[in-house]
Amino acid sequence: MSRTLFAASFAREADILAAAAEVRRRGYTISDAYVPYPVHGLDEAMGLAPSRMGWACFLFGAPALVAALSFQGWVAAVDWPINIGGKPFFFWQAFIPVGFEFTVLCAGLGTVATLLLTQGLLPGRRRAVPDMGATDDRFVLVLVKSGTAFDAGEAMAVLRDCRVVETREFLEGAA
Amino acid sequence: MAEALQEVWIRGGKTAARVTADVCAPIERGPTALWYGAFAASVSVFLVGACAMAYTLSTGIGTWGLNRTVGWAFDITNFVFWIGIGHAGTLISAILFLFRQKWRTSVNRAAEAMTLFAVMCAGIFPLLHMGRPWFAYWVLPYPNTRGSLWVSFASPLLWDVFAISTYFVISAVFWYIGLIPDLATIRDRAKSETRRRIFGFFSLGWTGSARVWSHYEKAYLLLAGLATPLVVSVHTIVSFDFATSVIPGWHATIFPPYFVAGAIFSGMSMVLTLMIVARSVMGLEDYITDRHVDVMCRIILAVSCMVGLAYASEFFIAWYSGNPYERFVFVNRQMGPMAWAYWTMVSCNVITPQIFWFKSMRAKIGLVFAASLVINVGMWFERFVIIVTSLHRDFLPSSWVSYAPTSIEVATFAGSFGLFFTLFLLFCRFLPAIAMAEVKGILQPDLHGHGGAS
Amino acid sequence: MPARLASVPGETRDIVRETTISEHRKDPSSGNEPQRKHQSVWPEHVYEGHRWGMAVDLGACTGCSACVVSCQAENNVPVVGKDEVGRKRDMSWLRIDRYYADRDGDTDVVFQPMMCQQCGNAPCETVCPVLATMHSTEGLNQQIYNRCVGTRYCANNCPYKTRRFNWFQYQEEGRLSNLALNPDVTVRMRGVMEKCTFCIQRIQEAKFEAKGQGRAVRDGDIRPACAQSCPAQAIVFGDVNDPKSRVSQLRKDPRHYRVLAELNVEPSVGYMVKVRGRTAGAGGPEHG
Repeated sequence: MSRTLFAASFAREADILAAAAEVRRRGYTISDAYVPYPVHGLDEAMGLAPSRMGWACFLFGAPALVAALSFQGWVAAVDWPINIGGKPFFFWQAFIPVGFEFTVLCAGLGTVATLLLTQGLLPGRRRAVPDMGATDDRFVLVLVKSGTAFDAGEAMAVLRDCRVVETREFLEGAA
Repeated sequence: MAEALQEVWIRGGKTAARVTADVCAPIERGPTALWYGAFAASVSVFLVGACAMAYTLSTGIGTWGLNRTVGWAFDITNFVFWIGIGHAGTLISAILFLFRQKWRTSVNRAAEAMTLFAVMCAGIFPLLHMGRPWFAYWVLPYPNTRGSLWVSFASPLLWDVFAISTYFVISAVFWYIGLIPDLATIRDRAKSETRRRIFGFFSLGWTGSARVWSHYEKAYLLLAGLATPLVVSVHTIVSFDFATSVIPGWHATIFPPYFVAGAIFSGMSMVLTLMIVARSVMGLEDYITDRHVDVMCRIILAVSCMVGLAYASEFFIAWYSGNPYERFVFVNRQMGPMAWAYWTMVSCNVITPQIFWFKSMRAKIGLVFAASLVINVGMWFERFVIIVTSLHRDFLPSSWVSYAPTSIEVATFAGSFGLFFTLFLLFCRFLPAIAMAEVKGILQPDLHGHGGAS
Repeated sequence: MPARLASVPGETRDIVRETTISEHRKDPSSGNEPQRKHQSVWPEHVYEGHRWGMAVDLGACTGCSACVVSCQAENNVPVVGKDEVGRKRDMSWLRIDRYYADRDGDTDVVFQPMMCQQCGNAPCETVCPVLATMHSTEGLNQQIYNRCVGTRYCANNCPYKTRRFNWFQYQEEGRLSNLALNPDVTVRMRGVMEKCTFCIQRIQEAKFEAKGQGRAVRDGDIRPACAQSCPAQAIVFGDVNDPKSRVSQLRKDPRHYRVLAELNVEPSVGYMVKVRGRTAGAGGPEHG
């Protein structure tokens, strides 16, 4: 079920922002945009919801903290209590450094794993859209053509107003 | 008028395409004779060090100059030295990111790489300094048939194990995540199939999708937010190796901030050392400009003053405390048999960076380069002074000794520099030394795709 | 020989304490300073059963070093040779420290046998990452040779510097001299830390002997090698939890003090102030 997509590349940040806002206003569906760096205002222009990655960070970090503190407490006071330096068996203050480090480790790795897995960033993945210079210096806006009210003439007029440099039509998934 | 108000960090009116071309050029044109020469030299130095390490492993810690009173000297000094250097990379990547300092984009990639290599060099020493390093895995808490016999969470060395490994993993991950868009750039430009395949594999199918960028930016921000307390905590925990002991000269609550400030100090100096050379060799002076050097010098000056204040506080408090053992340690540092190390430390760390008060001094790049080397010498001596002068004359005078390193210790230390520079040269050869995507993001917004003054 | 222990004017370290017989007769605690009961931020461990301790009389010690030799023989302490000793890597678990004072042209000396103080709040135990050193239920600071990975953090943290590290493989198999080794004591390999154990092998032997005979361990049953060989009987070992033991009596003596007690490490070894048999010229501002 591959959709037909229509890609338009721009040379300037301001152009793609204007184009994205305008095509959305006219009811076109934006599949995605491809840019060499995160462009301020593009998320709003495209109508993207803010990322909830913060939750992933918290959901990996909080249990890690609890686990690290509990494990240390169990090791020191329950499983094999040993008199170390005259300290009480449950010397909880000493658990803080390892607890903190383990929390950061799990929160960090969990966040990154969430990013890579949810966004499909896996080794050896082939690109899903043709290379139009988005990793170099072009800003590419991709509209959905099939299954929408896509008026090629109107679309091209809007895009030309925004100084489009190149356009291309392709099937989704075929790089 | 708007241009005048904006900060101008990248020179030469660069466009995004120009950035790509400039940064990829050193990778794509192949290694120069200079690179091969430097690589051969650093590999040789590393091999000498590796031989020294092998000798130590086979024969014993007795091949070093340690004794019954001074149980740590070069080994732990080197460990703290390298970890400290690593911290500047994380400072630049994470902390300056949170403070929205745009100038970091020219140096953060190389600085983070420096962090990783510095942590690798640091990691040699806790392993090598053990009397029985083949049992080093006993510091990891794993279930076993001996009870289970776990580990001692009371020990600061154990906290170090977790801190350093977490720091290395998170730094590596942060560095790699930052690399992904740039690896994709190289993949898309690659002329050879091999290069396309390798960079294709590691760029994870990155296309520059705005949806992915949105999550990516959030993840990057979160990692920066995690890395910031991490870097402070790691060197704090390293400082706890000393602060939690009872030995006068070690037992000091000032150590956590003192060590963190010192780490930033030595790390930033090492960044300057590397960047001043790399930018001219790789033709990147438009990206790592004299203004970048100027800002880093000012950071170094600030931290130098903090470190100087810390030295003065320690000395004052030792006197004010009235504790005879504490007072003696500081008198011994300044006037005892190892006073030469102390005064080297003070002149390199406190006096030398004072030249950076003057803009004309900050603009003399040769002078800045020399100062950065001097500062790192001073910072090595700071750790040496803390460790050795506190140990060699502590409570009971019957145990007072002198200490001198053996050639094996010196060779091992040199070998760590060999490893560091070997890795850094490999990095410069194969990976983009500047974060292209981030630099493109700070070019003048209304001049993208055009040119003009910037 | 340094005239004063202190290198900084006005500094004194009261590691050894002495007085004269005339002062002592006036006040049995002369030469000694009261040591404050140590402060604790947490509830302490309770030692029911035995709690081993030692008292060393500085007045009786002549510095003959018979204790040092017998400790070395009993505990298989390696002989490292002149070069290693020159590099300050001697392995003696017990050493005799000498403190000199220059008095009117004469030189006085105090001998202080110094061994692991078996601290209740041992700074060495806290810093070992692999649990190679910990505290026993009888108050001993244990060193577990086969767990030690040799970080040397414990030795760095010991304020008394009584720990010794095996810098090389000092012991070799196949030597004829190995016939002199004590089979009750482990031989340590390179990379491992060792120290005075209060002759734990003798403690264990006495406890097994007593258990076999169905009685309690008596004061005097256990004599570590150093205590056994001291011709002046300056070293007394016993159960501090037994109020009738000799070491408990000595602890109550006004001459009793502990070295570096202000560090709150709670050493189990105490020393007795040296009483010189003269009427003047000892004690005073220089405690040695």
